[in-house]
Amino acid sequence: MNRNNKPLSKDVRDSLKACDDISRRNFAKKLLGIGALSSLTVSIVPEAALAWLDGGFSQREDLADAIKVLVKTYSDTKPYPHKFNDALVKMHLRNLDFAVRKGIWKERAEHYVWTLGVVVDRHIKKGIEMFGKDAFLWGNFERTSCSYQLYEHIEIKDGERSVPCPFKPILDQIQKGMGTYQITWDDVHNKWCIPVWSGFAKNVGVKIKVEPGEICRVKVL
Amino acid sequence: MKELERRDFAKQTLKWGGVLSLLTVLNPPRAALGAGPGGGNPLKALQKNPFLQRDDLQDALKSLYMTYDSTSPYPHKFNDVISKGQLECLEFIVSKGLEKEYVDHYVTTMKPILMRVKQMVKKEGSDKALHGMFEGTTCSYQLMERIDVKQGERAFPCPYKPALERCKKWLPNRFVMEWKDVCNKWCIPTWQGFSNVIGVKIAIQPGETCIVKLA
Repeated sequence: MNRNNKPLSKDVRDSLKACDDISRRNFAKKLLGIGALSSLTVSIVPEAALAWLDGGFSQREDLADAIKVLVKTYSDTKPYPHKFNDALVKMHLRNLDFAVRKGIWKERAEHYVWTLGVVVDRHIKKGIEMFGKDAFLWGNFERTSCSYQLYEHIEIKDGERSVPCPFKPILDQIQKGMGTYQITWDDVHNKWCIPVWSGFAKNVGVKIKVEPGEICRVKVL
Repeated sequence: MKELERRDFAKQTLKWGGVLSLLTVLNPPRAALGAGPGGGNPLKALQKNPFLQRDDLQDALKSLYMTYDSTSPYPHKFNDVISKGQLECLEFIVSKGLEKEYVDHYVTTMKPILMRVKQMVKKEGSDKALHGMFEGTTCSYQLMERIDVKQGERAFPCPYKPALERCKKWLPNRFVMEWKDVCNKWCIPTWQGFSNVIGVKIAIQPGETCIVKLA
């Protein structure tokens, strides 16, 4: 049986409730509908859209490793308080520093968009057709581990997402502690974040406006 | 019987009152007071525990919950994005034939840290090299699900094998690279580069459980 045709399980409903509880609510409300259209809406949601917060947390047997890493990370406060996204942010910065030095940052961003564009085309296009442009932001931010493992939190408004820039504090630390990178914070905006988000938006025919900053804002136009 | 013994001991301890009990209290075994971040002072243990002093745990817990509550089409883990992200970049780098320069860049930009590790090796022995490369850095302990620490040896499940399989399955035609490319063009040369700067020799046995030993 195609999962798309199945009614929502209790687990999925519960986990989407949990999603509301953690303030990532606007699109989930739209998606699950409150009112007459909800059952129709739910029945045509792409399968992948349901494969998120699917209620499996309590069944996981690998939580001990995750908790240990979390405690280890947040106990690591010197020379600065480390966070769950530390290594991921450093990886992005290191890759960008290399790409900028080699003059291939544009190709690098295009490769990233081309690689992950499969997912964008497969799921987010359909989401936009069904639910409007906000589905683009939903798919690029709170719906994907690529973002919720990178941004400490994501503030959701209809047609707008705001995130604390994870790159600035770590880049500052790298420059203070090692001083071996050539990139600046502006490079991070202009040679990574903006080209990547704009590339995804172009793929699905959406226009966006990015306001980079310590709190970065992305809006659909 | 045990209760009686405890009672007797308490009576004996307390009946002396005065000097001996005061001495007892002033000289407890270190373990009883907690030898952790309080530095042996239980009154400071909580305040000095860095984890318990953090006020940003809720964001971390939410991310963790979102990750582990996403179990379809595969169970997501905390190292999901970093392993996929590394593979995506490596695929690009390998396609351009730049893998050697890419590794050199990593080793070069890490030199200040690696030189500090080298100093620790001089003071405390060669195992500190493995500590500095693995459990001592977020870049490893946030990438590997767990790290088995033995004197002169570290073992961990390869994060890239399952990630590469998923990338190939869910992002068709985007990944040409094989798992052995990840071992031979990324992990092995990077760790060898680190160990050269630190000044130790290592042997690497790649596999689903990867083992790195001091040679």
